[in-house]
Amino acid sequence: MELQLQHLSKQYGTNHAVEDINVSLAPGVYGLLGANGAGKTTLMRMICGVLKATSGDIRFNGKTMQELGEDYYAHLGYMPQDFGFYPDFTGREFMLYMAAVKGLGKRKAKARTEKLLSMVNLQEVADKKIKSYSGGMKQRLGIAQAELNRPSILILDEPTAGLDPKERVRFRNLISDFAKEKIVILSTHIVSDVSYIADTILLMKKGRFLLQEPMAAVTDNIRGKVWEILVPEWEAASFREQFSVVNLHHEGSMVRLRIVHENPPADNAVSVEPGLEDLFLYHFGEEQEGK
Amino acid sequence: MLVKYEFLKIIRKKSTFIIMTASLLLTAFLFGLPIIQYQTYNQDGVIQGAQGIAYVKEQYSMSVPLSEEYIAESIGEVQRLFADSQNVGYDGNERFLIGDAYWNHIAPREKMLNMIAKTYDSPQENSGYQKLAELEAAEYNNFYQAMEDKMQALRNTPSRGLSDAQKAYWSNMADKIKVPLQYGYFEGWEIIMSSFELLVFAILSICIAVAPVFCGEYQAGTDAVVLAGRFGKTKLITAKIAASFLFGLLAFLLHVVVACGLPLMAFGADGWNLPVQIANTTIPYPFTFLQAALVSIGVIYLILFAMISFTLLLSSKMKTPYLVIIVLVPVLFFPIFLTPNGTTGTYNLTLFLLPYRAAMSDIGKYISYQFGNLVLDAFSMRAILYAMLTVIMIPFAKRGFQKHQVAG
Repeated sequence: MELQLQHLSKQYGTNHAVEDINVSLAPGVYGLLGANGAGKTTLMRMICGVLKATSGDIRFNGKTMQELGEDYYAHLGYMPQDFGFYPDFTGREFMLYMAAVKGLGKRKAKARTEKLLSMVNLQEVADKKIKSYSGGMKQRLGIAQAELNRPSILILDEPTAGLDPKERVRFRNLISDFAKEKIVILSTHIVSDVSYIADTILLMKKGRFLLQEPMAAVTDNIRGKVWEILVPEWEAASFREQFSVVNLHHEGSMVRLRIVHENPPADNAVSVEPGLEDLFLYHFGEEQEGK
Repeated sequence: MLVKYEFLKIIRKKSTFIIMTASLLLTAFLFGLPIIQYQTYNQDGVIQGAQGIAYVKEQYSMSVPLSEEYIAESIGEVQRLFADSQNVGYDGNERFLIGDAYWNHIAPREKMLNMIAKTYDSPQENSGYQKLAELEAAEYNNFYQAMEDKMQALRNTPSRGLSDAQKAYWSNMADKIKVPLQYGYFEGWEIIMSSFELLVFAILSICIAVAPVFCGEYQAGTDAVVLAGRFGKTKLITAKIAASFLFGLLAFLLHVVVACGLPLMAFGADGWNLPVQIANTTIPYPFTFLQAALVSIGVIYLILFAMISFTLLLSSKMKTPYLVIIVLVPVLFFPIFLTPNGTTGTYNLTLFLLPYRAAMSDIGKYISYQFGNLVLDAFSMRAILYAMLTVIMIPFAKRGFQKHQVAG
């Protein structure tokens, strides 16, 4: 099973939202990281066939999306970011409706609906109208509908946005359960979510892939560029002005700073093992701070 | 399955319930108004509303074949009444019957006598039963000849501008009218036939209810998830369109039941099998009242379907239902403000095809359209036009949703 994106671009006037993306994806969980406006959602919409690419091809098992037609969508499960529901439908009705949209037969639709509602722990409220659901319940219903057709390609756009920590953990576990033998592309700007479940990191900036690395090796590039330093409180502000500070921790009258920088920020700075947040800040630190 | 859920989506919306309730109440009001306002007279004065209706049904209800003999006899009776000066009043303008002569002999069948009298009018005249007093025996012994002559005179009126082919078309149609006409009570049907254009409010409300079918998905942000489904760009669209038409069909049927049900309940369904000529002998269509009502409703249904198609087309292209409604309202109601100045010419013939005007029966107006040797009456032309518009617009609506780009 292979999903190929070949020279995929999306242009709005002179603005390149996505530019010349080339990647070949085998089963596994791909964490799509990038700052807001990096082109993650645009890329996902193109993969899901709901936004036309300006140029390039999307191929599944060697055939283009156009060649596959409905069959392509039969392999697809999509949970868009902030997508709406039908407030006057019950959770169960919504699932059965989506099953019909996905072309599942009546019996199969019922069986999958009940199973997934149970998996996402919504069975007890399945006959309540969606308008009465909390944000977390809606998100769980969202992922359940994406999984209805047992998709080979599962696209999840910011699935944990707006969830409290407990719901996020629950959601991450659900994604892990669903991810077996699938190509899962998970977009988020909550780095910790990706670090738990992604096998591969796709780092996007200004419509391009900056990095496509296995999770285990993704931080190799910034090894030796992450530092920790203990400074007096009065000095911390000056460090924050000069460097990208990932973390700041008060220890008595001193402050422990975690800094991402090419060179040691001070003589007493100690090189530490880099993490995904360090990587994110290394690439997007300036954008995040609006510099 | 998809049609069921799309149908549920339409009917479960609170806005649909509010719009449909308001629209049904308005329809009930508009078609109930002639019942409330109905009034008739007897020797004691005015009788209004339900009492008036009951009085007319009881006192004036009649069923009789309008044979030449019966008509001649009726005209002769009117002439005999007018011959006695004690029966005749004069208001300085015209003579009329008074007292028992009027209440016993004219009032119970005044409507029929007026219809007979009008048949002998020239196209510009509009006489009452008084005209019958002036007729020569040679005239009133040939009522059906007079009816044919009047129709011919109307067809030949220069201002109508009918071509020879159109005249022949109407003449052939009129030849199919079965004579002698059967006369009877038809009050309920007359009210229905004269009010069909009021159903345009029902059309608007149905269109408002289906306006979110496509753009509601864009507005709610559900477009991405449904378009990424296997049937999102194929069967789902067909289901949405089918559900919209099904909703339109049923919702409009409900309105028709209210619109026709109220007058028929109040006035009775009597007259359904009588020819429409007993209301106006110059109507060229060989229909009974029921047939005329069904043809009119059929045409309005086709207008509704075309308007639903137009709504769906707009819905697939626009971002919100409000924008759809902003376009729909003037399209439906603009023709109300345009008045025809005849029944011929491009302006008038176009006007008679626009939604509001096309909902009117215009059964006695000889409106026809000619394409080469082909002549179409108003019903046929409207039916063909709106069926074509429906068929043409649906694929564009489909494409609109298929090509919709989830962005922003």
